[in-house]
Amino acid sequence: MAVMDDMLTTDALATMNRLEKGDEGVVFSVPDVRLLASLGIRLGKRVRVLARSFASGPVIVDVGSRSVVVDRALAAQITIRK
Amino acid sequence: MHCATTKTRDNSHKKILLMGLPNVGKSAIFSRFTGLHVMVSNYTGTTVEFTEGTMTVGEESYTLIDVPGVYDIKESIDDAERVAISMLEEKPDAIVFVVDALNLESSLHLLMQVLEYGLPTVVALNRVDLLKVRSVQIDTRVIQAGLNVPVVPTIALGGDSLDAVKTRLSEVLVKQEKPRYVLEEDDKRWDRVERIVERATKPLPAEASAKPDRFAFLIRPWPGLPIALGVLLLVFATVIGLGMGLRQFIIMPLFEGVRVGEQTVGLFPWIRAGVDALGIDGTLQRILVGDYGFLIKGIEWPFGLVLPYVLSFYLAMSILEDTGYLPRLAVLLDGVFRKIGLPGNTIIPLLLGYGCGIPAILSTRSMRSRKQRVAVAVMISLAVPCVAQSSAFMFLLVEHSLLALVLVFLIGLLALVLVGFVMDRIKRQPMPFTLTELPEMLAPTPSLLGKKVFIRVKHYVKDGAIPMVMAIFATAILYELGVLDVAGRAMAPLVSGWLRLPEEAATPLLIGIVRRELAVLPLIDMDLTTVQLFTGAVVALFYVPCVAMIVTLAKEFNAKVAVGTLLFTTTTALLIGGLLARLGGLLTMWFG
Repeated sequence: MAVMDDMLTTDALATMNRLEKGDEGVVFSVPDVRLLASLGIRLGKRVRVLARSFASGPVIVDVGSRSVVVDRALAAQITIRK
Repeated sequence: MHCATTKTRDNSHKKILLMGLPNVGKSAIFSRFTGLHVMVSNYTGTTVEFTEGTMTVGEESYTLIDVPGVYDIKESIDDAERVAISMLEEKPDAIVFVVDALNLESSLHLLMQVLEYGLPTVVALNRVDLLKVRSVQIDTRVIQAGLNVPVVPTIALGGDSLDAVKTRLSEVLVKQEKPRYVLEEDDKRWDRVERIVERATKPLPAEASAKPDRFAFLIRPWPGLPIALGVLLLVFATVIGLGMGLRQFIIMPLFEGVRVGEQTVGLFPWIRAGVDALGIDGTLQRILVGDYGFLIKGIEWPFGLVLPYVLSFYLAMSILEDTGYLPRLAVLLDGVFRKIGLPGNTIIPLLLGYGCGIPAILSTRSMRSRKQRVAVAVMISLAVPCVAQSSAFMFLLVEHSLLALVLVFLIGLLALVLVGFVMDRIKRQPMPFTLTELPEMLAPTPSLLGKKVFIRVKHYVKDGAIPMVMAIFATAILYELGVLDVAGRAMAPLVSGWLRLPEEAATPLLIGIVRRELAVLPLIDMDLTTVQLFTGAVVALFYVPCVAMIVTLAKEFNAKVAVGTLLFTTTTALLIGGLLARLGGLLTMWFG
């Protein structure tokens, strides 16, 4: 798990699975899954939720104008600072 | 997947690797360089097995290898990555690395890992034509200077930009130019990539900058779900409408003939007249033009009945593939599929299965869990009718009972869900995360689409129609020699007793082992009741997939899976068939 250096402002943190459609934020912590980095979900990257699938389906986020599909369970391990 | 030679490695030949992220146009570049046709689609993982072909650079000929797309070569989590790593370790003569202009960061990150192998490399910066959509500009000189490699902007789907790649390639090959590259620690690599990308990209004055979430509505439950239903219905209607039209107005008039004055002009009248004129009679005459007449049915079934639907199916499917809609459908349905332990992209092999089961089973290779692959393969073998069998169902049922036709397909769908559900409960395993990238939505290119449909129709003729003709020929001989009669009597308890079909319906059960549609077609001329037609169709649906699919199962998995599927499908077919015959009998008694 990689975490952003400044641990001071932890007030507006939320895990990615809790974000609503249209919510935006910066990646604050990510689990150690290399594919996440390759897909652009790295510390400090700005993400925006494009859609939430139904039936506990994945969260789809826009990262640097790529649309990345993230499993709901994996999204629960990614923290975003709003 | 079958057109280029696969896995035949010739070590004496000089090798060039074609590498890059998934879905960046490697296969398109491969086709242009080698003249071989490789299936190209707008989703990740089209090339699961590597393909190779020959290309000339300068005077020399090289073997060009289309390496499956990977994101990372440090973490070998799947087959594609292991293949890529082992190929790099074999020290090829050069590498053509395809960078996705729309996805610079991840491309350059992978490129840096590849450059660490110190091999002569040329970078093709592909899809530069799509940069306008994103309203950005890329300065290739920055990348060239930052990583010490030649960079050529390309458009793989058109234009002559690829010639420039070849020119640069011949230069690095002659000079044996190796990249001067400083090794980077794992966690520093992304920083360096980000710095290069920042300097290399400039935003264009945004005139009509298209937003990346333009198509996000397709993956939201509303209106995504109704749209998905609409798209699938439209595909279904196109396949049936176009197929029927082709058959009725073009192909059958050619075969059965049209009246011109006193005469009927067409292929079949001409064949019959020809056989008469040669004075052929008796058994030989019946083998050629009788009930299973090889010269009549051997042409009508594969080319009159099935070919029109093969054409219309693959036209519709190829359009779906090239737009980039399929991965969106997969994401939309991911949550639902997970309820039966499968990822959403299972929808792609299932849809392909309605064309032919073999490419469908091969396409499951991009799935990460073996258990999931086996589950999908069994589902397809049992309850997804191929296009040949579907067209046979349509021909058999459409005039008797449209309801029965729809019911056959619905029973298939129901069985799919049930099998998925049961297979999931048998051996519960933690599922891999769904984590992927959605490709751009693109308008299909007509020339590319035409080529793709052509390749698939060619496959059908070679691997589908020709075996069908041979099977019909064998059937004609066995039928005329009375062998099928004897078999029919021997199987009477099963066929007439249990399935309540006439004795002669043993024939489709016997020849249906060879091909899926042959379990249906002989029923057409048997004068059956609606209940019998329905029973026959459902038995055929669940029955033995076909010889070629059983062989594919054995090759892809093992003999156990193949034999297991064979037994499972056959018993399911016969069991459900017998029950339906009884249920249908009761219903007929009650409602007359």
